[in-house]
Amino acid sequence: MGRQVCVASAGFCEHASKRSDVNMPELVSEAIADCLAKVPSIGIEDIDAFVNGNMPAFEGANMPELWMTDWMGARNKPLMRVTTGGTTGGSVAIAGYYSVTAGLPGIDTVLAVAFEQQSQGDTSVGLASVAYGEISCLNSLGIPLEQLSRLLSAGAAIGVASYQATNYMRRSNITEEDLARVVVHNRHNAAKNWYAHLKMPNLTIEDVLDTPYISFPLRYGMVCPASDGVCAMLFTTEEKAKDMADIPVYVNGVASVANETAILGYDGAGAGQLDPSEQLGARRSSELAYGQAGISFPRKEIDYAEVYSPFPNQELMWVERLGLFEENTATEMYKNGTTAINGELPINCSGGVNSTNAIGASAMERPAEAALQIMGKAGNQVPRTVHTSLGHGWGGALNFVTLMVMSDEPQRKWR
Amino acid sequence: MSKMTRRKSMEYIKKEYARTRTMPASWYLNSYKYKYNVTHMKPFLDKLKEGKLVGLQCSNCNRVSFPPKLVCGNCLIKPDRWVDLRETATIATYTITYLKDEATGKIIEKPIACIRQDGCDTTIITELAPEINYEDAYVGMPLKIHWADNLEGSLSDIKYYDVIDDKSKDMALREKK
Ligand SMILES: [Zn+2]
Repeated sequence: MGRQVCVASAGFCEHASKRSDVNMPELVSEAIADCLAKVPSIGIEDIDAFVNGNMPAFEGANMPELWMTDWMGARNKPLMRVTTGGTTGGSVAIAGYYSVTAGLPGIDTVLAVAFEQQSQGDTSVGLASVAYGEISCLNSLGIPLEQLSRLLSAGAAIGVASYQATNYMRRSNITEEDLARVVVHNRHNAAKNWYAHLKMPNLTIEDVLDTPYISFPLRYGMVCPASDGVCAMLFTTEEKAKDMADIPVYVNGVASVANETAILGYDGAGAGQLDPSEQLGARRSSELAYGQAGISFPRKEIDYAEVYSPFPNQELMWVERLGLFEENTATEMYKNGTTAINGELPINCSGGVNSTNAIGASAMERPAEAALQIMGKAGNQVPRTVHTSLGHGWGGALNFVTLMVMSDEPQRKWR
Repeated sequence: MSKMTRRKSMEYIKKEYARTRTMPASWYLNSYKYKYNVTHMKPFLDKLKEGKLVGLQCSNCNRVSFPPKLVCGNCLIKPDRWVDLRETATIATYTITYLKDEATGKIIEKPIACIRQDGCDTTIITELAPEINYEDAYVGMPLKIHWADNLEGSLSDIKYYDVIDDKSKDMALREKK
């Protein structure tokens, strides 16, 4: 059985569409500096091991662990890279958790860093490298390339999310206005968060519905931006975390679950997920993580949730699939203010991925933000005390989910 | 971990570097040789040439895949039972993309649909009949295969899908809304 792991600190750099004042390694060290500034009792030399990750090929430069060592302060220390597409950040955070919980001699404090400088590269090349094998295969089976390229040219992630949106809207009978309401919720929250990218304090539902379709049923105003940004999280043991932070955040449950792919199958076969908004992976991962954390009634026991929602339909979908709300009731919760910052269960008070999306970092910003809310150090802090919070990540071919449940109390089995 | 030790700072980061210079560069991507397994595809493509549809059923969980899957993701065994499928299908999911035409600068609507052939448990990307207005499309819309004129034994034998009458019970409900 592993050790109890705590989050001692988490840091961000300022997110923007083009951070032209810094290059990628400088951007990374900004977030590390912010992370370490919150734990003044330790310095970069007290960190025993490093985990980093970003999307492969998005910046036109791969294997960042080879050239970023100096800027992370990782010289002569164990370092590994994890990359799992959209969930990269979530997987990096989980790898940081694993490194500490394993209890290896001399590895107590681990810094996990996830980053992306999207202004440097071409996202579509990176995404094409993911799907091109499958596309070539379908092409050789007789589906014209022109038709397949639409799948890619839909902006890939937007394309696949719009399938989810079509299915989710059909399933729960919601309108575009309901989607726009989620966007407004997120952008208003982002305006109060120092590092967020799209800060729009005066956005209205009409403004969002005025924008043209980018991929039916998603409009331009509903889609996440492409940001430059980095997130860093400091994982350590219970004893050390108590020295470092006033309120150590206990990581009580982690899960990452991959389901069958949607939209594209494998080797030209049919895709196994009939309904991309069903998300068995999310259901299964929440079962696992809540089980580890001893949570039986997520709606009652979780005080704050950060879900990975580049698109508004996903935010509605995830909060239902993760057991925070009943099926098809999420829209109602956004209408009556349950999810607002002073509501019963605040969601995405940082502005979420919908307002800030540095792809590789996004899935880590969720647990990082959820941890900071417990510490009381978040950019847009919930006024009520947060005891238990949830950070969620999503990626892959609509099928991969990471989850981290955190609390201000240790896990029951270690108590 | 004494607090008295002078901590190395990370202050050098931004202060001295106020701006960066952008240098253009490009990647010349190689051509690749992907491998994919065709043993399970052969009987499927042969049947397509005869104008028949078959799916591959997993003998453990009874899921049928169309086009055939080499391994069942649920059971991790090779499905080995061929079953006949009907010519009808339903829309599993769809979207419309709005792309700028490079030559004219006009925004062109391009629909993409994933359909589920009746009798199988997987979806596949396909084309709908050109006369279908996508604003009328919905998830669960019933379709029927429109075969190509010359069957060649490839997925292009399914030219596109025609719409047929929807007889499902919640149709009246939907009209009312
Ligand atoms: Zn099976």
